Amino acid sequence: MIAFIMEPLAHEFMLRALLMSVLIAIVCSIFSCFLVLKGWSLMGDAVSHAVLPGLALAFIVGIPLAIGAFIAGLFCALAIGYLKENSRVKEDAVMGIVFSGMFAFGLVLLTKIETDVHLLHVLFGNVLGISERDLIEAGSIAILCAIIMLIKRKDLMLYCFDSAYASVIGLPIRVLHFGLLILLALTIVSSLKAAGIILVIAMLIAPGAIGFLLTNSFDNMLMIALAASLFSCIAGTIVSFHIDVATAPLIVLIQAGLFILALFFGKSRGTAKGLQNVS
Amino acid sequence: MIAILLEPFTYSYMVKAIWVCALVGGVCAFLSSYLMLKGWSLMGDALAHSIVPGVALAYLLALPYAIGALFAGLLAAFSMVVVKQKTNLREDAIIGLVFTCFFAIGLLLVSINPTSVNIQAIILGNILAISVYDIWQIVIISTICLIALCLKWKDLMAVFFDENHARSIGLPVNMLKILFFTLLSAACVAALQTVGACLVIAMVITPGATAYLMTDKFNCLIMIAVVLGSITSGTGAYLSYFLDVNPGGLIVTLQTLIFMGVFMFAPKYGLLKRKAAGHG
Repeated sequence: MIAFIMEPLAHEFMLRALLMSVLIAIVCSIFSCFLVLKGWSLMGDAVSHAVLPGLALAFIVGIPLAIGAFIAGLFCALAIGYLKENSRVKEDAVMGIVFSGMFAFGLVLLTKIETDVHLLHVLFGNVLGISERDLIEAGSIAILCAIIMLIKRKDLMLYCFDSAYASVIGLPIRVLHFGLLILLALTIVSSLKAAGIILVIAMLIAPGAIGFLLTNSFDNMLMIALAASLFSCIAGTIVSFHIDVATAPLIVLIQAGLFILALFFGKSRGTAKGLQNVS
Repeated sequence: MIAILLEPFTYSYMVKAIWVCALVGGVCAFLSSYLMLKGWSLMGDALAHSIVPGVALAYLLALPYAIGALFAGLLAAFSMVVVKQKTNLREDAIIGLVFTCFFAIGLLLVSINPTSVNIQAIILGNILAISVYDIWQIVIISTICLIALCLKWKDLMAVFFDENHARSIGLPVNMLKILFFTLLSAACVAALQTVGACLVIAMVITPGATAYLMTDKFNCLIMIAVVLGSITSGTGAYLSYFLDVNPGGLIVTLQTLIFMGVFMFAPKYGLLKRKAAGHG
């Protein structure tokens, strides 16, 4: 058993991969608690797809890819808000139009220009190919987001759970709204290299959903999400080394397994009611 | 000049790509007229991603890809219903959870056996190298969808606009919804071949939403959407010959550009008109 765990760690790339997956496990699981409560799953889907043209344009302009991706993700969220305010099309349709349009544009750019952005790595993640620079870059973004979210968790939680109530007790709703969007974009950017833009959606939903099913208190939900996510990421990375399959999909499937366990053996169906009594 | 413009038509693979894209684009656009009315856009995306493991498995086992896709789609829909019944999770979280898991299964299958499945073709479409066998599947699927839609478009309209009214005039509402989602899955399976799993959502939303900004009459809306859908799809495939880019990406970029244009300049609901009228 110990050999099973220790053997991959003898390789430097595996150490980096493991560290990276631990970092994104932390940041994604914290964000997922807010996302699940807020009902923003489609927003996560949209922003993650929309970073593609940002990567391509950042490469053309010559700025760090993470910055391009962040700007594109944020642009997508703002464009959705603008189009929703100014047309009679429903919000979910607007989201679909904006993110698919941006994804398509990114695809056209990436097939047209010669880049060192490997399309399949962007789409599906490549945690085993993480360089030291990627690790520092993505890792610092992830740690920053995680700290901000943990410090502000009560305000964010109230906003996600009941924005009308949050507004009544005097919380700055707009700041929280845009803050959450920025955190979403940053979280996605930090997880891109490891999970890819499609599977990051799973990382952003599943841990929070597992926590939601098992407890009524928000702080416990955070802890459970964190534990589930850490377990899946570490186990997924180590097992994928031994059985030689892609890492990110395996992590997602372990999370799915935990969700199914929570679904059939959890006592609660998940009620959002008790969550208001955050300590 | 004309010789250059006609050049794509001298290649049979281009001719095939253009008409197959136009056909699929039309069918998807027809469905998009309904889908964007209800706030079910995420379903289109979810279906397209969920069928990936089915398609991968079908290629592994050398079965017709439509069968694998249909099976995976049904299984995904079933899982969503089960999770929905057992929990109080929000619907969007359930849909997101299920489709990403299915997608992950697909990727895992491919990573176990990378040689026999071309994952790029599934995710990004493969219309330029489509086999005759796959074209037949698309033509059959599209024809069935079009016939069903032409026969039932009014009933579906009643259901989508006002379910209670539809029920009161004796329409089988649940049957019609099931019919719609069956047609939608079938169209997603067809569109998967032309634009790939990631962009199917555009084909089943954007043309309808564009048309929605141009007209108030639902039959006009369908006409505009279908014309837009097939012209953009055919044109996208045609232009991809000259620009040498991924046809799916180009088709959806075109559709989005047209949506933006209509959003700005539409006669009644355009941004400029609304700003001028003082409520924009």
